[in-house]
Amino acid sequence: MRLSFPYMGPTIVYKKLFELLGHDVVMPPRPNKEIIDLGVKYSPEFACFPFKVITGIYLKLMEENVETLVTSGGHGPCRAGYYGEVHKKILKDLGYEVEIIVIDSPHDDYKYFYDVIKKLKGDSSWLKVAQVIKTIYEMTKAMDEIEKKVETLRAYNDNGIINQIWMEAQTDFYQIKSINEIKRIKNKYLNKLLQYKESIPEVDQRYKIGIIGEIYVVLEQSINNQIEEKVNYFGFEVERSQYLADWIRENAFPFIGRDLEEIKVKGEEFIEIEIGGHAQANIGHAIDFKEKGFDGIIHLKPFGCLPELVSQSVMDDLSEKYEIPVLTISIDEQTADANVLTRVEAFLDMIKEKDLREVM
Amino acid sequence: MKNLYLGVDIGSVSINIIAIDEENKLQFKLYTRNSGNPIELVKKGLVKFKNEMNPKDYKIKGVGVTGSGRQLIGYVLGADTVKNEITAHARASTYYHPEAGTIFEIGGQDSKLIIVEDGIAVDFAMNTVCAAGTGSFLDHQAERLGIPIEDFGGLALEAERDVRIAGRCTVFAESDMISKQQYGFTKAEIIKGLSEALVRNYMNNLVRNRVLEGEYIFQGGVAANIGIKAAFEEEIDSEVIVPKHHEVMGAIGIAMLAKRDIKRNNQESSFRGFDLTEEEFETNSFECGDCANNCEVIKVVADGRVIAVTGDRCGKWAASLITDSSTAAALSFNKKADQKPELAESDINKSEDIEVELYKVDLEKEKKVMQELKELEELEEEKLDESDKDEKEDNVYV
Repeated sequence: MRLSFPYMGPTIVYKKLFELLGHDVVMPPRPNKEIIDLGVKYSPEFACFPFKVITGIYLKLMEENVETLVTSGGHGPCRAGYYGEVHKKILKDLGYEVEIIVIDSPHDDYKYFYDVIKKLKGDSSWLKVAQVIKTIYEMTKAMDEIEKKVETLRAYNDNGIINQIWMEAQTDFYQIKSINEIKRIKNKYLNKLLQYKESIPEVDQRYKIGIIGEIYVVLEQSINNQIEEKVNYFGFEVERSQYLADWIRENAFPFIGRDLEEIKVKGEEFIEIEIGGHAQANIGHAIDFKEKGFDGIIHLKPFGCLPELVSQSVMDDLSEKYEIPVLTISIDEQTADANVLTRVEAFLDMIKEKDLREVM
Repeated sequence: MKNLYLGVDIGSVSINIIAIDEENKLQFKLYTRNSGNPIELVKKGLVKFKNEMNPKDYKIKGVGVTGSGRQLIGYVLGADTVKNEITAHARASTYYHPEAGTIFEIGGQDSKLIIVEDGIAVDFAMNTVCAAGTGSFLDHQAERLGIPIEDFGGLALEAERDVRIAGRCTVFAESDMISKQQYGFTKAEIIKGLSEALVRNYMNNLVRNRVLEGEYIFQGGVAANIGIKAAFEEEIDSEVIVPKHHEVMGAIGIAMLAKRDIKRNNQESSFRGFDLTEEEFETNSFECGDCANNCEVIKVVADGRVIAVTGDRCGKWAASLITDSSTAAALSFNKKADQKPELAESDINKSEDIEVELYKVDLEKEKKVMQELKELEELEEEKLDESDKDEKEDNVYV
């Protein structure tokens, strides 16, 4: 099948997954001004921001004669569950006939999940599928490990230098053909990063910020105004609530999600029922970050996102009870970079000033 | 000879330049309207400073820049400290009013709320998607009513009756004002209603469910408006203090922060000197297409010489310009790193030193599944022909 998928986070992994299964994969374009404008133009005005971005990506992909689009569904009362159907309708109205395969979580409907996988595996044997999944899993884990180190080191070094290593690593991972190469590449880049290890100061001088929020705006740097790099630039370490592996863990590996459930349970303190998206889990992550000794939380919410709007409204109580500062940033096509920078900088200053109570 | 610290606030509506001495005493103060060319206005401001002060009397020891235009002007001046206006405002306010608990700051296009505890900002909020309730909104309405903005506040106090204006949005506020005028309300009453609407908006958007405490400070350009001050006092039922230099508090704060940074790091100012008023500045931008990031790279040029490059995520354009020793050092470090020979196989397992916490994986379960996959592989190798039977491997996905 000639297929593609929405751009989210380091896309290499999804591309690799479908390539290894023998599909003709078209790399989706990275969201930029043009794609966002296109998406905003053809999406319902009240749709949430990720929907609009994905519409833009799909429309751009239509120029490449893509036959099939693979995407993930949502669960609970979150509009992400309708994305597939509505996108199909929008594309049809514009004259594009394309199949959209929605991978819903296997927890919701096992039979359906099984059918989808059968469709996607094409002519590959189940053995091949098992091998591919193993490779992808190892690769994701390796990439997440490097990225977490990048997010720590960037705080104490020039963003550009560390970014360059991270970009090279992604390119190298893309060349991987077998599972055996993963370890070699991983160690090559971990060693490169290790040279900068001495820049990390003493424990009491390290500041850590946790980033939580809707998965798309948390993972996709090109639409969240590179929030992580901004935080790193001011000398703060960053950790996200969502990593690449999480999407795969939820949607492809039903067998490795224990810790996610634990975190969700923590979230029930403030949001008792499942309201869709990652609202409950996000609250859980915020509490989890506090327990791990983080100094502040940045909460990203796409404009028009229902679950995150609810979690925003409980943030005040959470912030007070757990004594952790929270900054909520709403993201859509109108978000100006300078504005985000000002808020993030003021927020981080506020955290640091508490410790720098010096005499004038 | 005095040591002076310059503070520059590049706002959307005004550009303010001040100078303080070692004791934080104000030595120079300039408030100008931003007519759209910040570089020229800053140059003019510096010329004025130079003409007013005796060059033998002072030495510039540090420069700080704040406000929405801080980045560019920071490069132009060679500023020591470039920081956001929230931190700057909080610093100045808490210096003049150590007992401050709540700071209302309303500027040209931003309105901010800063909560202070023991002289330290602990919480803040900033207007988000709407400009109703800021200086520009008042400016626009003053113009429509044909009243100079300076007289606007005073007029509100002359109102005899109350009238409620919808302040949710500038456009709707305007139509509401027109209809109230048709009903026969006077300009003074409408202005009072408008001031109340602005404050109501501020309370709904920024204060929300926060509990306000302590001394209330009101600063920023709009603090000059006594009508708004009165409306605030009525809303929170307490006295509101407008600092003497309320319109340049951001500039004062950033000068203080610059002084602190210079002292703490024990460094010389990187101020480019008053000669910069003679230079011609220009900014260019281009999109670097060397990778998928497509960064917008911005260059700041002074008299044909590039003085700053910014916007590139990989740092290669910024590194092409060696302005100071730190960039140079970083660059040479980078080169050294690149030149390192490829790692020997034996180094491969030494990499676990930077501690990061990877997500928790249920190790037992993972091991079990991986084992199952491995068994499956072995099984498949034995029975190559039958490898496509679905039933057998179903358990892999359960």
